[in-house]
Amino acid sequence: MRWVRILVATLCAFAPARYAMAQTLDDLAYETVEPSRIKLGESAILRVTSFGRIKDVTLPIIPGLVFEPLGRSQGFDFVNGATLPATFFSIRITPQFAGVFTIPGLTPSSRPVGLEVVKGDEPNPYTWHSQQPTPAPVPTGTLPKGVQLQAGGAAFVHLAIPARPIYVGESVPVEIDVGLRAGIVTAVNGLPTLKGSDFTFNNLSKQPERRQESIDGGTFILLSWHSALAAVKPGEFELSAEAPLTVKMSTLSAADRAIASRLAYPLLQSMYSGVAPKDMTIESSPLQLKVLPLPMEGQPENFSGAVGNFRVSSEVSPASVAAGEPLTLRLHISGAGNFDRVDSTMFDHLDHWKTYPAKSSFTPSDAVGNEGEKVFEQPLIAAQPGEQSIPGLEFAYFNPNTRQYEHAQTPAIKVTVAPALASGLSLSGAPATGSALGLRPDHRVPQNSASELRPLYFRPSFLIIPTTLALLLAGSWFAVRANAARANSKGARKVLAQLDAAARAGDSSAFFTAARNALLQRFAAQWRMPADQITVADLRARLGATGEDLERLFAIADETRYSDHQSGGADFQRWISLIRGQLSSERK
Amino acid sequence: MRTAKIPMVIAVIALWAGQVLAQPTQPTQLSPSPSPSPSPSPSPSPPTYSADGLYNLANAYARAGKPGLAVLSYERAALLAPADPDINANLAYVRASAHVPMKPLSRFARLVGTTSPAAAAWLGILGIALVGIGLVASRAAPRFLWIPRGGVLLGIALIALAASNAMLLWPHMHEAVILVDQAPARVSPAPMADTAFALREAESVTMTAEYEDFILIRTGGGLTGWVSRASLGAVVPSD
Repeated sequence: MRWVRILVATLCAFAPARYAMAQTLDDLAYETVEPSRIKLGESAILRVTSFGRIKDVTLPIIPGLVFEPLGRSQGFDFVNGATLPATFFSIRITPQFAGVFTIPGLTPSSRPVGLEVVKGDEPNPYTWHSQQPTPAPVPTGTLPKGVQLQAGGAAFVHLAIPARPIYVGESVPVEIDVGLRAGIVTAVNGLPTLKGSDFTFNNLSKQPERRQESIDGGTFILLSWHSALAAVKPGEFELSAEAPLTVKMSTLSAADRAIASRLAYPLLQSMYSGVAPKDMTIESSPLQLKVLPLPMEGQPENFSGAVGNFRVSSEVSPASVAAGEPLTLRLHISGAGNFDRVDSTMFDHLDHWKTYPAKSSFTPSDAVGNEGEKVFEQPLIAAQPGEQSIPGLEFAYFNPNTRQYEHAQTPAIKVTVAPALASGLSLSGAPATGSALGLRPDHRVPQNSASELRPLYFRPSFLIIPTTLALLLAGSWFAVRANAARANSKGARKVLAQLDAAARAGDSSAFFTAARNALLQRFAAQWRMPADQITVADLRARLGATGEDLERLFAIADETRYSDHQSGGADFQRWISLIRGQLSSERK
Repeated sequence: MRTAKIPMVIAVIALWAGQVLAQPTQPTQLSPSPSPSPSPSPSPSPPTYSADGLYNLANAYARAGKPGLAVLSYERAALLAPADPDINANLAYVRASAHVPMKPLSRFARLVGTTSPAAAAWLGILGIALVGIGLVASRAAPRFLWIPRGGVLLGIALIALAASNAMLLWPHMHEAVILVDQAPARVSPAPMADTAFALREAESVTMTAEYEDFILIRTGGGLTGWVSRASLGAVVPSD
């Protein structure tokens, strides 16, 4: 009884202090997902516990997960042994496909949690099924050599790499094992990563292998990821792996834990056992890896950087074609190594065949793409009929097992090439209908070529020509017009001078004859008709009242021409005035 | 008459100089190049095109099961020789085999298309010369006016023929052919943008704008979207 009184007195003394500590955690919130591993088709419950004044949470948007709020409730939660008022949000999570998901913190202070969704046919040890047989006992295992537990004994990371030296460019498999103590590690917050800047890592498996083992008396979930590693330069390097986790950690001090361990009653123990989730990253022990340079001695000229152990084979289809028709040469390269350095340079020596760019495809046979088969498809066209031979293809690579360069060669392949068809060539992939016209045959040797596909009239250099031509012709048109005007003016002055001279001499015949001829030439040019076809009717129709005067002038001209009639000087001046007016008038 | 000879001499000189300047003769292309478009690698000589060479190249692509490249080469060959029956027949056949609809040509288009663009261009030049010379001659020499008037009418007809040919080919200047099957047309010029619709290989589209590695295209049905530059080939390569 004495101990009980001491205990009660101690609790009473510590309670106010602990309550004050809890008040400082007003913003504290955490979330849990239960169960953290479910089958596709099942649902998990995300529970957000907030000790602050958060009224609601915003549901995240994660592809593959459907969130459905179930409700909000008030209650109490135990923190560090203190009972604090809390708000609980319950959210149902229904996955749409399998995978490892990270659900972000829904409150500012809560941490992300992980959810693993497995396919329906995989066993789920966390789901209780009354009709299933009792699960097999967990096998007993040991920690890998050189590996120590971290996070207070809750987890470990182990990196497995080849113990032998590797060569530059060589692709070697690596394995990352993460051990998680069941019930302590609440989430894996992402894929593990390798630390090392002098390496390339490829194809880290998205879905880890999973198994359970009993290690050091505790149940551990072992997750194994696989990847391929390649070194980019020679030397000795350190390599390690790390993984982000969320672990339930005790927040009690050593003294508090000692007190808690002495509490006899489970209720009091639970009140006194402060546990909170904590994000952390655990790292494996660094490993030394020696990277050797590729030997320069004996390196083939056609070596493209492929390192590994490969086998090659080839085939061609169809085995007989018509000249001009394509056939496909397939080169199969299988084995293990850095397939990304296996290229199509071996097709460069098909000199007697017309080739097009080869296509390639890679089919891995392991999870990381270190083993598999790469197939190159090379279209070939034979120009000449007859028995043709496709030469053997040689592939050079460095074998790290034998530590020397090796050659893999395919045998030559015989192909029968028939004479070219005149017409009716069928299009590959086209529907083989009997009424199909097929392709018309090739043309003979091209005769003409152009430097540009753009038609002439769309080229700026060509447009200079019609522009220049149009300008030249327009200039000519105006020049001809000006010349005609000048010629008319000069001719008019000449005619008027003749008329003046005839008038002064009193020569009526010369005067009217010159006037008649000048006017007829003027009207012929103006009306665009021959001068000898201009009639009196034309004068009346085109000139009106003036035409009557001119008709009289023409009549006097005829009269003086045939009867030698002489007119007075006053008449000459009037006629000269009339003629000057006609010769100087603008063309209509 | 002396004034009428001057523009004729000028026109003849201009035609001769234009032919020399605008159509330099290139070496004959003996075999089709494996790459229909100018190679990205530096080339010492500019690419040359011939209708027959492009036609043979298109045939090779068609036989190799590459309808996109085949249609592109046929379209380019048709630019140089639009009246070639083999080109048009094989183009129609490859398009039909690739299940790409082909718009039927109007009678006017067929009529105008019988003249090659090069011939139409020079006929247009001849038309301009005839119109100009006819006008100048009719002003300079009023006699026999039916001759210059007939020349003017013939010139106008030739200019109309060249203009119609140019109008017919103008859409091809911005035309492109899809080179990969199910090429995504995206709503914006970004690789991660949503796909609006997919384009069939060998389908012809009109290029309306470009932004970095994407080209805004419009299909014959009026759909628009951004397509990766690598997924299509312009019928008339840009300089």
